[in-house]
Amino acid sequence: MAAGMKSFSNKYIFFYITVLVVAVVALLTVVTLGLKPRQTANRTADKAMQILHAAGYQDVTSDKAVALFSRVAEKKTGEREVYGIRCADGSPGVVMRVDGKGLWGAIWGYVVLDGERSPVKGVVFSHRSGTPGLGANIAEENFTSRFVGKKLYDANGNFTSVRVLQKGKSPDVALDNRVDAISGATLTSKGVDKMLQQLNNEGK
Amino acid sequence: MKLPLGPLSKDNPILVQVLGVCSALAVTAQLKPAVVMALSVTVVCAFSNLIISLIRNTIPPRIRIIVQLLVVSTLVIVVDQFLQAYVYEVSKMLSVFVGLIITNCIIMGRLEAFALSHEPLPSFMDGMMNGLGYGLVLAIVGCLRELLGSGTLWNHPVIPSSLYAAGYLNNGLMILPPMALILVGSLIWILNSKKSKAK
Amino acid sequence: MNGLTDIFVRSVFIDNMIFAYFLGMCSYLAVSKNVKTAFGLGIAVTFVLAVTVPVNYLIDKYLLREGALTWINPDFANVDLSFLSLIVFIAVIAGIVQLLEMVIEKFTPVLYQALGIFLPLIAVNCAILGCSLFMQEKNFPTVAHSFSYALGSGVGWLLAIVAFAAIRERLKYSDIPKGLQGNGIAYIITGLLGIGFMAFLGI
Repeated sequence: MAAGMKSFSNKYIFFYITVLVVAVVALLTVVTLGLKPRQTANRTADKAMQILHAAGYQDVTSDKAVALFSRVAEKKTGEREVYGIRCADGSPGVVMRVDGKGLWGAIWGYVVLDGERSPVKGVVFSHRSGTPGLGANIAEENFTSRFVGKKLYDANGNFTSVRVLQKGKSPDVALDNRVDAISGATLTSKGVDKMLQQLNNEGK
Repeated sequence: MKLPLGPLSKDNPILVQVLGVCSALAVTAQLKPAVVMALSVTVVCAFSNLIISLIRNTIPPRIRIIVQLLVVSTLVIVVDQFLQAYVYEVSKMLSVFVGLIITNCIIMGRLEAFALSHEPLPSFMDGMMNGLGYGLVLAIVGCLRELLGSGTLWNHPVIPSSLYAAGYLNNGLMILPPMALILVGSLIWILNSKKSKAK
Repeated sequence: MNGLTDIFVRSVFIDNMIFAYFLGMCSYLAVSKNVKTAFGLGIAVTFVLAVTVPVNYLIDKYLLREGALTWINPDFANVDLSFLSLIVFIAVIAGIVQLLEMVIEKFTPVLYQALGIFLPLIAVNCAILGCSLFMQEKNFPTVAHSFSYALGSGVGWLLAIVAFAAIRERLKYSDIPKGLQGNGIAYIITGLLGIGFMAFLGI
């Protein structure tokens, strides 16, 4: 600080900080606006990739995701996000978006069905807080793979959803209609359970 | 000009000066985010040192902390925007930890201790070397945690499957946050022992 | 109301600022030589968190977020100022800390004597900025939730630094390998404490 010990008038200080703030905001605005298109494209590609993964397209890279997505999927009309999609194995499927709340903030996912009342083809889950929060690994394959082949309807054709339950609890729910919760993430698992109930109105 | 290599080993900012641990270790469960984080810190540290050194004679001492914060946070936002635009996957993993570079004690520390009283070029080098020294620790920790915890490096499996067949298991403990601290503690131990031997 | 307690308990024990996210480590390592000062710093951090996080929440909700400005004019629905949030948050924190320092000095000299020396340290404590950033990401529905989160994080931080300082006081009497003395063992203890805290994961 030895060199900087000159005294500065209040006027100078005020002027200095004003100039600095204006310069900073101007610079940031230019940078953000300049990079925005790329960022938006990234987000679109990310979403397309999530859905494609659920539909069984395993090795999609983000640069090809959007093109592939527009080829195989088509948004259905309606308020909710529902897409018709041609799955990786060629069969026609339906993708439905579900939204819910984990312990920390929003969680969402896409559920792919082969068709009306058929078993689950695949799911992806995602959560907003990308922080390494403990026990929030619903996005990991080891959890999502548990849903494959499960059914949203019981043997009598009534909607049951796929329940996310702790191992051994509520034994009256048939194995086809349940998956094991993540141990140590009870609340998040409950959030997923609740989120999937939304499918009641949409699976038809 | 001689490169100030001290921060890479005997004056390492994390290991010796205990600076900047805060925002760093949480992103070291894998190598890739750790390296991206390290590069971001290096860029911010080097350029904030350069900028502050360039304007050091015009800064009124009374508001120098605010000026420093302003410069650092601007650089951090720029870096964050670039990460979101060019390495989206990694930026999702780093999330708020990029923002926390602002409060990284290394950066403010180097500004106060070096950039305010030195010429631009040496300041730039000083910032870069400190950033790299910090990055080195991050990379080592990230490398060990990913290798031992998930059996991969840079997302590529490196542990041969024959080893798994022979009963080898990934050490899940490594992925958990506390292990980062224990690894850093061990690194300090190694460094200190080396130092006392050299004496 | 249940949601508020959930958030509080969770942020104290499970998503502990120090053991899970390593935030505020610099002052945590520097000011933990004895329990009394550690407690003082912990209280100061909790206090500042409880004030700054709700303020930043309101700023984020009504000024920065995409569509936040619609209360002024519906035409602003597409304005997204969130790229400025880092600068605004850090400025708010620095300002509030300064303000608190003056207010406390004026009205409660006793408290000032206890907290005064810590307040300047706090403006650059990563836990404070970190908490605001997490708050923004977690997208709480009301300001009460953000307050509960801030309080929980603060108490968690306090708990961590006091526990750590207590262990450190005892450590003076232990026989630690030479190279490990000082910071080396400090990191390892923190890591072990963190593993201990993970036992709370099941709640």
